[in-house]
Amino acid sequence: MAKNQNKFSSRLIGLLKTQIGNITGAIEKEGRLLFGGSNNLMSSDEISDFSIEFFQLLVALLESKDPLDDASPQFHALEMFFNNLSRQILVRGGRVEDLVRFNQFMQRALIEALENDQKGSAEEEGHGKPGWAKVEEMQQTSQQDFTELKTVLLFLSTTFNELNLAVFQAYLEEKEKTIHAQEAELRETATPITEIWDGVLTLPIIGTLDSSRTMLVMEALLNRIAQERAHAVVMDLTGVKNIDSQVSHHLIQMVRAVQLMGADAILTGIRPEIARALTSLNIDLSSVTTRATLSDGLKEAFRRMGIQVSHKVS
Amino acid sequence: MSVSGLHLTPIGNGAMLLEPSLALDVGNTHAMLEGIVRRLQQTKAARLYYDLEQLAIIEPLYYNWLNMLARACHTVNVKMTCIHMQPTAAFALARYMEQPPEFETGMEVDGWNRENK
Repeated sequence: MAKNQNKFSSRLIGLLKTQIGNITGAIEKEGRLLFGGSNNLMSSDEISDFSIEFFQLLVALLESKDPLDDASPQFHALEMFFNNLSRQILVRGGRVEDLVRFNQFMQRALIEALENDQKGSAEEEGHGKPGWAKVEEMQQTSQQDFTELKTVLLFLSTTFNELNLAVFQAYLEEKEKTIHAQEAELRETATPITEIWDGVLTLPIIGTLDSSRTMLVMEALLNRIAQERAHAVVMDLTGVKNIDSQVSHHLIQMVRAVQLMGADAILTGIRPEIARALTSLNIDLSSVTTRATLSDGLKEAFRRMGIQVSHKVS
Repeated sequence: MSVSGLHLTPIGNGAMLLEPSLALDVGNTHAMLEGIVRRLQQTKAARLYYDLEQLAIIEPLYYNWLNMLARACHTVNVKMTCIHMQPTAAFALARYMEQPPEFETGMEVDGWNRENK
């Protein structure tokens, strides 16, 4: 097996070195088609650099002790190269399908080059030999070729499968990053704290209050209370569709934190189903001021601050 | 009479302001409690403002001390109000306290009028 590997490695290296121009030319052409031009994902220079670097890394892998070892540093380098390239293309708006297609094309280009090389050498070997000697030699050669070809195809399919995995890994990582960034943005915009009057803050809570969101909202709210020297915070729960013991616990924590800062917390917009859930969860809201609507909550905050808002008498 | 680790200052209208220093030892509360209550009685105070401005974090031991002082004040008919609590301290305290505190809280000495409630 090791002998076979050495043979196929040196044959592939020889092939890559003699046909470097043809193979890189074909890869660059396909690269320009998928990522260059109007797609504007990679510049012409980047595509050329990429083809050469890919070539160098592939030769380095073939020159390694065991080219089929996917734990070798050479294999890891090739994998990382593809991972970074995929990330670069995906960030610029490229599609994962095109990356996979490009990988398949590279694999095909190498197989075709190998096929051409095989045909050429068979023709050369066949010249000038007499009848039976030629047949016997051809039989031996085809047996050797078959074994060698099998090893080459195994190498190529293993390598390119791993490279496809590297592409998918980069794709998933990029998607995850986008999801996290969107989540963070949504968290920030979902709980806008507004100073609706001097010293009165409003906080409409929409959706579910989980631990991480509660911490973010609490931190922002407490800093805002200190910054604006707010005396009252009206928390509107109209957008909260359901509540469980964890959410209610977080809500109580927020109310307590506001009260500890010396401000007053007023809860508004508690729906009947939320009220029922709070009762069945044995949540004590006796120390919390509640009002039916946001407007009632604001009126209560104004009353406590000695502010009177009335219609203009004509 | 001075109490070590804190400053007690009369601020008018029957109110006293307590400003703790970094030397305050909340592990030795009995002697401090007596000294503070005696001072409150001497000045005929009705309210004690406890300034928390210098405390970025209030750990359970300190929180116990605040509750204990509030209870002691209550026994001599003095209301205790903690003022200037920092957002970091309120954040941490709200996460581990299970019952409402035994003291009142306020933003300033002469700020939010809690009697309006």
